[in-house]
Amino acid sequence: MWQTVISSLPELITAMLKFTIPIAILSFIFGLILAIVTALIKFITPSENKAVKGIWYVLKAIASFYVWLFRSTPLLVQLFIIFFGLPSIGIQIDAFPAAIIGFSLNTGAYASETIRSALMSVPQDQWNAAYTLNFSTRQTLQYIVFPQAIRIALPPLSNSFIGLVKDTSLASSITILEMFQVSQQIVAKNYQPLLMYVVVAALYAIICTLLSWLQRYLEKRTNRYLEGGNA
Amino acid sequence: MISIKNISKTFDDKLVLNNISTEFPSGKTTVILGPSGSGKSTLLRSLNLLVRPEKGEIDFSNLHIDYSKSISSNDSFELRSKTSMVFQNWNLFPNLTVLNNITEAPIKVLKQDRKSAEDHAKQLLKDVGLEEYADRYPSQLSGGQQQRISICRSLAVNPEYILLDEPTSALDPELETQVLRILKNLSDEGQSMILVTHNMEFARMVADKILFVEDGKIEFDGSTEDFFNKPNQRIENFLSGITLK
Repeated sequence: MWQTVISSLPELITAMLKFTIPIAILSFIFGLILAIVTALIKFITPSENKAVKGIWYVLKAIASFYVWLFRSTPLLVQLFIIFFGLPSIGIQIDAFPAAIIGFSLNTGAYASETIRSALMSVPQDQWNAAYTLNFSTRQTLQYIVFPQAIRIALPPLSNSFIGLVKDTSLASSITILEMFQVSQQIVAKNYQPLLMYVVVAALYAIICTLLSWLQRYLEKRTNRYLEGGNA
Repeated sequence: MISIKNISKTFDDKLVLNNISTEFPSGKTTVILGPSGSGKSTLLRSLNLLVRPEKGEIDFSNLHIDYSKSISSNDSFELRSKTSMVFQNWNLFPNLTVLNNITEAPIKVLKQDRKSAEDHAKQLLKDVGLEEYADRYPSQLSGGQQQRISICRSLAVNPEYILLDEPTSALDPELETQVLRILKNLSDEGQSMILVTHNMEFARMVADKILFVEDGKIEFDGSTEDFFNKPNQRIENFLSGITLK
């Protein structure tokens, strides 16, 4: 049994390093950028200029539509549309970028709501205090509100990231040879489905455990300023 | 000197400030008194645009703002740089150390260099007896200490006027006294202040001028002596309502 496990590991770990982890990390970074942008669009209300207000209204509608669309449809269907569907209207995307696009858009939609609610959780009093000191909206966000919102957003964002790592197994359905797909191929050769799928499950569990350690470390850092923390 | 003219503000159809005009003399302490919900805080917050009245005007040294017209960001910046505010719940920035709470605006907004901003901040902390807390975070301090730090924060931007919105209402009596002592000193030093408070004893001690606000109107606008020694019926009702005698 151990022989089977050990002989399968090089292939599985190669797939993990080549696809599972890069897809997860790249998609999370792009998703996070998308999430911050859409969350800010939905969060901020520009006051003065009428033209700016009009443009903002349109941007808000687009952001809301995007978040609604990707939260209301299954990730697998989204991947199928991007990889198998779009070519029929002439948009051909390779499997790897298609996966990145799909996972980024999906993660971004969820993380957008996480970040928006974290921004809303910072009390209005903090904005008032900053405004009386003549901080601009951008400065208030940058120096006061964002550092506090990150602390609130960190646990749910970590959840999203861990979820994303496991969801990368869906990339197998759009022909990517990621870890789960490779395990299926190995099973086809050695007829050990239970053993191989337990091994691949364990590998996912290892990645996710490492990530939850990272989460714990980051939480400690961002909680530093709260009661009992050392300066 | 700040003078305001015909200021009105409504919240959801309720008239909170009803055509108010008055003056806040420079170098003096003006205390705003009145029952809860009378519009005291709204009046104070109109002075730094945390609240935007629908109509009225403000004259502040050479700055003139008409609230009914659109206010340029330059004017609002200038108005806010002439004032700073101390809040009831101090509203320190929890993510910044005590020192950075005080230096953040001088460095980021007033573009002072870090060294002189920190020197000034340390001096201010020393003045309120908290110099050894510079590297702590606000959550590690008591309410009274936090409020003293927020006073330092408000002084660090060199405002002409400090606006104080019930600065001791959220404090225990013992902690309140520490804060009041500092405010008393500032008042004695001739710092221009506008203070909303429920503490009559303190009002009597520091006020050069008293505004009594009720139902969005100024019912008394005059000297501290006149307010306490020759109260009209309304003021007498108010004063007897908040004392045990």
